[in-house]
Amino acid sequence: MRKWSIALAAAGLAGASALSWAFLAEGPADAASALADLQVGKAAPNFRAGDSEGRAVSLSDFRGKTVVLEWNNPECPTVRKHYESGNMQKTQAAAAAQGVVWLTVNSSAQGNQGYMTPASAKAFVAGQPSRRTAYLLDPKGMVGRAYGAKATPHMYIVNAAGTLVYNGGIDDKPTQDKADIPGARNHVLAALAEIKAGKPVSVPVSRAYGCSVKYG
Amino acid sequence: MERRFAHRWILWLAAIALGTAAQAEPAKPAKNAIAAGLVAESTIVAPGGTVTLALTMRPSKGWHGYWKNPGDSGTETRVAWDLPAGLAAGPIQYPVPERLIVSGLVNYVYGKDYAHLVDLKVPAGLAAGTRLPIRARVDYLACTDEVCVPETANVAADLVTGSPPGAGPNQAAFDGFRRALPRPLGSEARFERSANRLRLAIPIPAGLELREPYFYPLTDGALAYSAEQSFSRAGDVLIVETGSGANGGSLDALEGVLKLSDGNGLSLKAAPGAVPAAGAPLGFEGKQPGQGAAAVLAALLGALLGGLLLNVMPCVFPILSLKALSLAKAGGDEAGARREALAYTAGAVSVCLALGAAVLALRAGGSLAGWAFQLQDPRVILLLLLLMTAIALNLAGAFDLPSVGLGGRLASAGGAAGAFWTGALAAFVATPCTGPFMAAALGAALVLPVPAALAVFAGLGLGLALPFLVLGFVPAARRRLPRPGPWMARLRPALSVPMFLTALGLAWILGRQSGVDGMAIGLWAALLLGLTLWWVGRRQGDGRFWLRLAPAAVSAAAALLFLPSAGEGQAEASPIAGERFSEARLAALRAEGRPVFAYFTADWCITCKVNEKTVLQREQVSRAFANAKVAVLVGDWTGGDSAIGRFLESQGRSGVPLYLYYAPGKPPQTLPQMLTLSRVVSLTQKEN
Repeated sequence: MRKWSIALAAAGLAGASALSWAFLAEGPADAASALADLQVGKAAPNFRAGDSEGRAVSLSDFRGKTVVLEWNNPECPTVRKHYESGNMQKTQAAAAAQGVVWLTVNSSAQGNQGYMTPASAKAFVAGQPSRRTAYLLDPKGMVGRAYGAKATPHMYIVNAAGTLVYNGGIDDKPTQDKADIPGARNHVLAALAEIKAGKPVSVPVSRAYGCSVKYG
Repeated sequence: MERRFAHRWILWLAAIALGTAAQAEPAKPAKNAIAAGLVAESTIVAPGGTVTLALTMRPSKGWHGYWKNPGDSGTETRVAWDLPAGLAAGPIQYPVPERLIVSGLVNYVYGKDYAHLVDLKVPAGLAAGTRLPIRARVDYLACTDEVCVPETANVAADLVTGSPPGAGPNQAAFDGFRRALPRPLGSEARFERSANRLRLAIPIPAGLELREPYFYPLTDGALAYSAEQSFSRAGDVLIVETGSGANGGSLDALEGVLKLSDGNGLSLKAAPGAVPAAGAPLGFEGKQPGQGAAAVLAALLGALLGGLLLNVMPCVFPILSLKALSLAKAGGDEAGARREALAYTAGAVSVCLALGAAVLALRAGGSLAGWAFQLQDPRVILLLLLLMTAIALNLAGAFDLPSVGLGGRLASAGGAAGAFWTGALAAFVATPCTGPFMAAALGAALVLPVPAALAVFAGLGLGLALPFLVLGFVPAARRRLPRPGPWMARLRPALSVPMFLTALGLAWILGRQSGVDGMAIGLWAALLLGLTLWWVGRRQGDGRFWLRLAPAAVSAAAALLFLPSAGEGQAEASPIAGERFSEARLAALRAEGRPVFAYFTADWCITCKVNEKTVLQREQVSRAFANAKVAVLVGDWTGGDSAIGRFLESQGRSGVPLYLYYAPGKPPQTLPQMLTLSRVVSLTQKEN
């Protein structure tokens, strides 16, 4: 009886320490994955955010439609490259012509570059003609972190079934130079054309380049 | 009302203070936030040759520039060259970057002055004195943690053809720039990708000390930049595990830079392939603050359980069983048992703490000590060997210790001091047994903040003492111990067996550390000690116990004195003794007409280490080289020595290994990167 209990205790001890080493080897749990990449082909997470007009906008409001998400910080030079050249507005117009919903998201936290109150957002939107559907304010970074938005501009496309089909940059020339726009492949325009033709998106992932999203 | 007014005032003042604080943060300077310039290693260039240019970048305080892969955001630097006809500039080379984490986003940046090196080819056939104006437009992104500004700089350098001087005034600066560049690893790495994990196996010699390694990926989208990278080692392979990136498609190659220590990195390329299971963990890189508590708790728990496990180790168990028996003998004395248990715990914990503190202090002093570092000293091994022999002989019944000695209390029931020293002894002799399976976990503890690390060491001691605490405080547990009786006398000799085995193991380690001579000295000391103890045992009880031990003490001291000279050298020197490489020494040896074998190695180069182990350190090679009077020059490129780097470059190599043989009066022979014994030995034969 005693022999058994000793053997049992020894086995338990060995097992417990092996477990604890395994735990140690694993290291602390992945809290850093708060900004994990959102994988293409997975369901796009739903969200709800206030827009420049004070309305609450949800992704699920647009079920059945293709939705483009654009991360924005108007003071970021890379964003200015695409707005001052008219490239972003041109892409928005093409999307609107296809009946695609365009949601611009601003995740700059209060006190950071690009932060807007609903009032300042209203004034900003009024002063910048655009074919976007809504300008969303995400100062707490909830939407941005759910999507793993890293840069401005960072672009996502969600298809009519609610699946993420594109995650990346606006084009394939990661520079600050407007002169590079004409020679670049506009990934969003290309993907929208492929979606319209019922084809899979040929470049589903690319590098989102620009300024970092100014999370708080 | 007034109060609210005052309130508002305070808010205003705070706002102004904050505002000025924000102003004090880097505002955009009038000039570029990162000043760019162009410098040539030599302004006089040889037609048909290559000159290295440095694009020097000087960020203002608080600003940073970007690596080729900028990370989660940012852009790489672009250069548009305007060169005289026929000149061609290579790609810009990036130094090893640093990591910048701003609210969860990871960027690969340079926060201090840095330089991109560019190789410029000058065509042959240019007349001497031809002026070569070099112009370039550099576009790059300069950022603070808050804002980004795309900047442009027009840089210029004026060169002229001619015969360049040996070492120009820019030599030292360029040596520094070159040291900051990653060096090519030379061997290929492998990677494996699943849905959300990326695992990478990098061939790195097991003996290379790594401090806070990090893998900077050049290939975009392969891995998640914000994910923690955990490192482990399985023999000569370093295994990196991290989250995989957004690029879900197939990936046929993965390029990047492995940072070994600050500013010291290796560039490498990985192909898809099998990655071995994780080995011994190597600390946690990219740890997020706030997770410390969990890690400390886990390490503490692990140490506690590990300490508990040590109780059944062959080198500790006999000591403990004696102690347990003494407790059993104490029988009903409650207070005494508790006091002893506490004293024992104090002894075990303080030795663990002292060893831990010594490790931390040594590391803080810049030495690369690890747990059980004291065992790297053959003298400590010798002391342990003698101690183990003495304990084993005592158990075997060769002698009995009188009750006056330190060890006497070991077996007797008396005294809290005795219990304290027993605990201390148990913890000290336990260290050789902790070796392989504890070292890794305790290594992990070393990366924790000092108080946490010390807590982990204390936990180890506490775990070791735990069974005694239980025995001391739970009378029921004590009652379950077997009753003292004649069987104890029969058990004692049996317990000496594991102690003798431990002594044997220590003798073997001593032999490994200081060679056959060292081992012989150790065994000689052990024999003398044994004989003395036996003699003492025969004349037990005539009161002059310690006096009789004097010869043994003298012999142990003598052995300690002699041992280091036997111990040094052997562990480090390679059998073919080589001199440090320098071009001057090479030229001098060749002028003497000596054949020269020059080889270039680095601690992180696995091919080098394999060649050294399987070929260069073989006796046939040293004999052949000695017979032919071959001088051996060794260039160690571990730290990126720039003179060696330049020599490698002059031989058309970007990295190590490189093996050169200079037969007198003949052009040098370059050997293949994988050496064979016959090939190296035949070098000298050909010459004869």
